[in-house]
Amino acid sequence: MSQTRTIMIECLRYDPEQDQAPHYRTYEVPFTDEMSVLEGLQYIKDHLDGSLTFRWSCRMAICGSCGCMVNHQPILSCQSFLRDYYPARIRVEPLEHFPIVKDLVIDQSDFLGKLESVTPYLVPAQPLTPEDGPNLQTPRQIEDYLGYAQCINCLLCYAACPQYGLNHEFTGPAALALLARYNADSRDAGQKTRMAVVNAEEGVWGCTLVGLCSEVCPKHVDPARAINRNKINSTQDYFLRFLMPFGRGS
Amino acid sequence: MTPAPKTYVRPMNRWWMRHPAYRRYLLREGTSVMVAAYALFLLAGMVCLVLGETAFNLWRGFLQSPVSVIFHLAALAAFAFHAWTWFKVMPLTTPPIRFRGQPVPDRMIFRAALWAWGIASVALLVLAMRFL
Amino acid sequence: MRTRSHEPIVWSLFGAGGVFAALLGTMLVLIIGILVPMGLGFGPEAMHYDSLRGLFGHPLPALGLAVVISLFLFHGAHRIYHTLHDLGIPASKKMMLACYGSAAAGSGVALLLAGMLVVF
Ligand code: SF4
Ligand code: FES
Repeated sequence: MSQTRTIMIECLRYDPEQDQAPHYRTYEVPFTDEMSVLEGLQYIKDHLDGSLTFRWSCRMAICGSCGCMVNHQPILSCQSFLRDYYPARIRVEPLEHFPIVKDLVIDQSDFLGKLESVTPYLVPAQPLTPEDGPNLQTPRQIEDYLGYAQCINCLLCYAACPQYGLNHEFTGPAALALLARYNADSRDAGQKTRMAVVNAEEGVWGCTLVGLCSEVCPKHVDPARAINRNKINSTQDYFLRFLMPFGRGS
Repeated sequence: MTPAPKTYVRPMNRWWMRHPAYRRYLLREGTSVMVAAYALFLLAGMVCLVLGETAFNLWRGFLQSPVSVIFHLAALAAFAFHAWTWFKVMPLTTPPIRFRGQPVPDRMIFRAALWAWGIASVALLVLAMRFL
Repeated sequence: MRTRSHEPIVWSLFGAGGVFAALLGTMLVLIIGILVPMGLGFGPEAMHYDSLRGLFGHPLPALGLAVVISLFLFHGAHRIYHTLHDLGIPASKKMMLACYGSAAAGSGVALLLAGMLVVF
């Protein structure tokens, strides 16, 4: 067991039944080297204030439910360690740009709608049945989308994106990255439907390439790249339709 | 269905204070003010050139003044920062490039762009020394 | 149904301006504002009226200058338009007209002047 030290955790608190606006409370949390920010929050809940509310599940950076802001940086609390902040105090807040339901819990329903809007599943060219057998891909074809497929819907990228904060119409990083993920899949034929989302003002054109989304993504999905590459595609699509008024081949 | 809970939406005022990346972003976008200003400055030069020798000499004389030197040093910084940041994010926009089957890493694209910057600058200087 | 954005038009101009500004901007400023006035590598006769009239009397340099000015203006207009929105001034038709309209006007003037330099 490593030695125990004490860190100050300043936490945003908001109770919709009592508070008009959020406020902050500071807790003294004893911690050891292997304790994550999430475990710090759990310590508060178990020993100092049972009313503190936050989401978590896997504790291993894969479920995507424990995202929050630490000192204005969006992070997965299960993947960030208290020792890396000590001796400074830390300020924990719910993910930026989302409505707060209670304490560190945000309402992600807006994102879920956006996720749905990008047709986030394979659309085969012809309907397939089990008799058609497996849908084969080469390693190279997998490589084309595998990076984008790592998204765990943790929403750190939305919390990093001021354009989403300023305009909630913007489809946003993760949804647009998943859009690119399915478009890049050789088994998919749904590009046409998704292109309408890409081409819209709320699609890729809501992005001004701040770029922080890609930096904070714990799975290196690189949504900024997915979005900005689709700006080129959208521009081509915009001008090519004048050349080929009867619809494009692919 | 349960009624939607009352939620709290945080304001966006002074959002750029929240992260250094936001201030770097605004600085990058801010270079465009200088780019536009410099275009207007060149446009003014063009107007003077059309108006005739006396008018043009005023513009040409201004180049010699300390105000102009300060303006140009600021413009120089803005253009250089613009170029650096432009090339830095360029790999995000370019379609995936492969060389011998391997994806070309971002830093190679960035380095190639820096070379292009250098070559274009030298070419412009050579042309200017020949024709101005 | 989502409506298609017309952003590709201005984004293309912004991008072209950005490339020109990145590749040529620094040296352009250095030559005009520092090297020529200080006489570094350039004689005192550099950038004088007669030599510039001679140079821009040819269509290619004149058009080139006008295009560079125009693309710089569109590059600036595009970023300024979006940055004003970032700073809390809501994007509007009026703002759009002010930004891209002045870039278009400036481009028109630059092209006109280029034509005059060549013809007269
Ligand atoms: S793209 Fe990255 S940061 Fe955004 S939701 Fe997916 S995993 Fe999280
Ligand atoms: S608890 Fe699952 S990602 Fe952190």
